[in-house]
Amino acid sequence: MVKLDEKIEEAIKEIFSDNSPWVTIIWDDPVNLMSYVTYVLMELFGYSREKAHELMMKVHTEGKAVVSTGSREEMEHDVARLHEYGLWATLQRGDQAL
Amino acid sequence: MSKRESEHIDGFYRHGDNAYVVQLSESEREVLTNLVEQILELLGERADKHVDDPLAAMVGITSHDSPPEDDVLLRLLPNAYADQVDASEFRRYTESTLRSKKYGHSMSMRITLKTAIDGIIEVDHDGANDWLGAMNDIRLALGVRLKVEQTNHEELELLAPDDPLRGVYAVYNWLGWLQGSLIDALMDEDI
Repeated sequence: MVKLDEKIEEAIKEIFSDNSPWVTIIWDDPVNLMSYVTYVLMELFGYSREKAHELMMKVHTEGKAVVSTGSREEMEHDVARLHEYGLWATLQRGDQAL
Repeated sequence: MSKRESEHIDGFYRHGDNAYVVQLSESEREVLTNLVEQILELLGERADKHVDDPLAAMVGITSHDSPPEDDVLLRLLPNAYADQVDASEFRRYTESTLRSKKYGHSMSMRITLKTAIDGIIEVDHDGANDWLGAMNDIRLALGVRLKVEQTNHEELELLAPDDPLRGVYAVYNWLGWLQGSLIDALMDEDI
């Protein structure tokens, strides 16, 4: 007979609760202009020029950056809007390795 | 860096509160019109390829759940998930919306080009965003064909004069410069 201890119960709860956040990632792309990536982040997410520039530089130097965090539905919306403007974006669970 | 291939060294500039203006020569407008129409055609072909289920069409579901085989279309309509099952499911429910948004950007750019008087292109903020999206789709498409991913710019600079890709690369650079000038004009107002 399998017995549940508190730890296991907690882990199972976690699996079913689905409240771990999701993230939107932008990947580096040799075509998109740096100023364009900055502009799109400002325009779509309302980020300040400083924040948008910082994220763009992270994409440029590290190859990718998390640009927004939230529910799965919210991240699907963000990815769709980034695709509309030609940025290379994907979403995934926040706890997955980048 | 992009070379300036045009005799107009000014690019887009801001005019008043909500207007962005550029003067383009007839040949420049022809090139842009030709390119934007190719994007429209490409997106249209993808749309036509699925069997129409009126109910599915009504709620925006397409039968496309596999990514486009064409590299250019795949770059324009990329996967949203690394996981193939999630990517297919997402595509099934969202690709037609993405296609129509992109179609809208390109159509807006095409109309501005067709209705320009004396070669003067004037767009408002929303029109500018349409132009940016449409010009970017063209650059993404050209970038795939030029293999910008795998090729460095030095190699592209050294293409033989009779290589047709040399002309494509010049257009690609010129578009980057034009797009950059519009972004600069738009960002100016935020200072």
